[in-house]
Amino acid sequence: MTNEAEAVLRTQDLKKYFPIRKGLNPFSRTEDKFVRAVDGVSISVPEGRTVAVVGESGCGKTTLARTVALMTPPTSGQVYFDGKEITKGRIERAELYRHMQMVFQDPESSLDPRMKVGASIGEPLEGLMRWNRDVIRDAVKRSLTAVGLSDEFASRLPGQLSGGQKQRVAIARAISTQPKLIILDEPTSALDASVQAQILRLLIELQKEFKLSYMLITHNIAVAQYMSDVMAVMYAGYLVEYGPTRTVITKPRHPYTIALIKSAPIPDPERRNLLQVEIKGEVPSAINPPPGCRFNPRCPYAEETCTKENPSLREIAPGHFVACHFAEKTE
Amino acid sequence: MDTLLSIEDLTVVYDTAFRRVTAVDNVSVDLKRDEFLAVVGESGCGKSTLGLTVIGLLPKNTAQVTAGAVRYKDTDLLKLDRGKIRDYRGTEIAMIFQEPLTSLSPVYRVEEQIAEAILVREARKAGHLFTGKVMQETYRTNSAPGPSRFPKLHGRISLNLRNEIIEYLKLVRIADPEQVLDRYPFELSGGMTQRVMIAMALSQEPALLIADEPTTALDVTTQAQVLKLMKELIKKVRTSILLVTHDLAVASQVADRVIVMYAGEIAEDADVHSLFSKPLHPYTHGLLSCVPSGYKDENELHPIAGTLPDLSVQSVGCKFAPRCPRVMKSCHVQRPQAVTTEKDHRVSCFLYDK
Repeated sequence: MTNEAEAVLRTQDLKKYFPIRKGLNPFSRTEDKFVRAVDGVSISVPEGRTVAVVGESGCGKTTLARTVALMTPPTSGQVYFDGKEITKGRIERAELYRHMQMVFQDPESSLDPRMKVGASIGEPLEGLMRWNRDVIRDAVKRSLTAVGLSDEFASRLPGQLSGGQKQRVAIARAISTQPKLIILDEPTSALDASVQAQILRLLIELQKEFKLSYMLITHNIAVAQYMSDVMAVMYAGYLVEYGPTRTVITKPRHPYTIALIKSAPIPDPERRNLLQVEIKGEVPSAINPPPGCRFNPRCPYAEETCTKENPSLREIAPGHFVACHFAEKTE
Repeated sequence: MDTLLSIEDLTVVYDTAFRRVTAVDNVSVDLKRDEFLAVVGESGCGKSTLGLTVIGLLPKNTAQVTAGAVRYKDTDLLKLDRGKIRDYRGTEIAMIFQEPLTSLSPVYRVEEQIAEAILVREARKAGHLFTGKVMQETYRTNSAPGPSRFPKLHGRISLNLRNEIIEYLKLVRIADPEQVLDRYPFELSGGMTQRVMIAMALSQEPALLIADEPTTALDVTTQAQVLKLMKELIKKVRTSILLVTHDLAVASQVADRVIVMYAGEIAEDADVHSLFSKPLHPYTHGLLSCVPSGYKDENELHPIAGTLPDLSVQSVGCKFAPRCPRVMKSCHVQRPQAVTTEKDHRVSCFLYDK
């Protein structure tokens, strides 16, 4: 949907399989059993935009984020960052992470409890940018101001902060190196509604100010809809639907996307969508996925083909990709 | 509809080493028969404490009820002694929790756990107390003599009991109850364990079911299934439900009436339709505009400024005053009383004071 030139991040048929080990011996391996956490995902993040990766627990969205950030090596496939392949050969990690940062779900565990906030924010500047102390001190102040915290927070410990403030610090740390891309892994799931709104708003403001690109991992459809330009829906390791957010939300074509959107409660008692949901069953095991389309046991449209052939992603409208044999019938 | 549960001026405090935190502050709630009531609020607003007080499960060493009454069918549950409250807990009032895996025992099969619940109910009906010892006896008398390494309990549990358990599992829409019976909780998915919990709670034929964030740990598609199930049950088995949740959207989808709590107090209490169509309290307004809806270029989010107040500090005025966009002078001086604006719509705010 976007040219390679303007995509900050692009993955090509990215796969991550985790081998299942027998017993506790870390060296033993069973040959053919894998958890197929990410199974052939190709997406791209355009510059200055937000791509939301949506799915339920176990669908592989976090593994996708971790693989993209090279926190775990991919089994196969390529990741291109800023036009260069980063899954091949020797790469300078410091150089990469200067431009690609990550914010995690739980701010509690992503900040060192013994480290003052200022030191936490300054650490990447020291390690990745090799700046000297005075420059770092100013940069820390600027980052704190950007996330709406005053300078005095630099000398506090994470234990003295609320959940929302901690997440702000984590974001301040991520933007301190002036990255191109920030991977946001469920950045607001651990937060209360009113704090979530503050953080989401902050993220949007920062994106405008610093021209950031976001890869947003979330299970919350409303958040994804609100934040993103492009939406990617994952199910059991596969990308099942991919397209502009508006199209995916208003004209979902994959039966799973339809169910997911219907299951998301909307705060309106006059439209009780939740009570009309007809999806049955639960997400399949990633070790023994059902043959054919992985959604077929739960799918209301499933036919015989679905149990035999795994549908591949195809473009049904410009920029709108769906992996379903019967995408034309689901309207 | 008559009143089933009535909480009157309840105040609950937690004593920690250095401070006293007022978790629930002068709260009054009425719950009618067959009503689906949702208590909504952010973390620390006292919604869970409210549920725990009703069922008498407050941590004994730290929590203390300093004032108020919890009247259930004309009995004040707070005045009952420990032995007596067991006649209500589980049987009359049942509770399900957020994390189903931690509320089920990991070492017993699903069948055994539901069987225990049913046996307890039967024993109570017959008028004697059912303890763990009796439980063991029951199994022993029904089973073949001698220890077996892999006890198959359906040999021990009578067929009637087994059928009854299956009935309950069917009630909560478990597709293959015979198979689920023989499983341990960890072999089931999150949605299934929560259903088993609901089945166990329902096996007591409770008049009131307290559900504390029952779907928060579940995926959205599973959440939809469980909530739909709860909504059906209220009609089928005639239970009142007190749903404790942080999610306004969930409350709007299932509840008949919604109570919004803030910092231990009730901000607003109204019929679900009137609460969402014309929210009165500035906090409810704030919460509603915090929920992301639509797209970022269409409507902006309006987060509530500031953070939750420190509950160990006694405040004079309205607790929401420091964050309130419509704050007035009187808000800092005096605590607002609940005002009934129209039928079944209560709000604690000076804006609506006559």
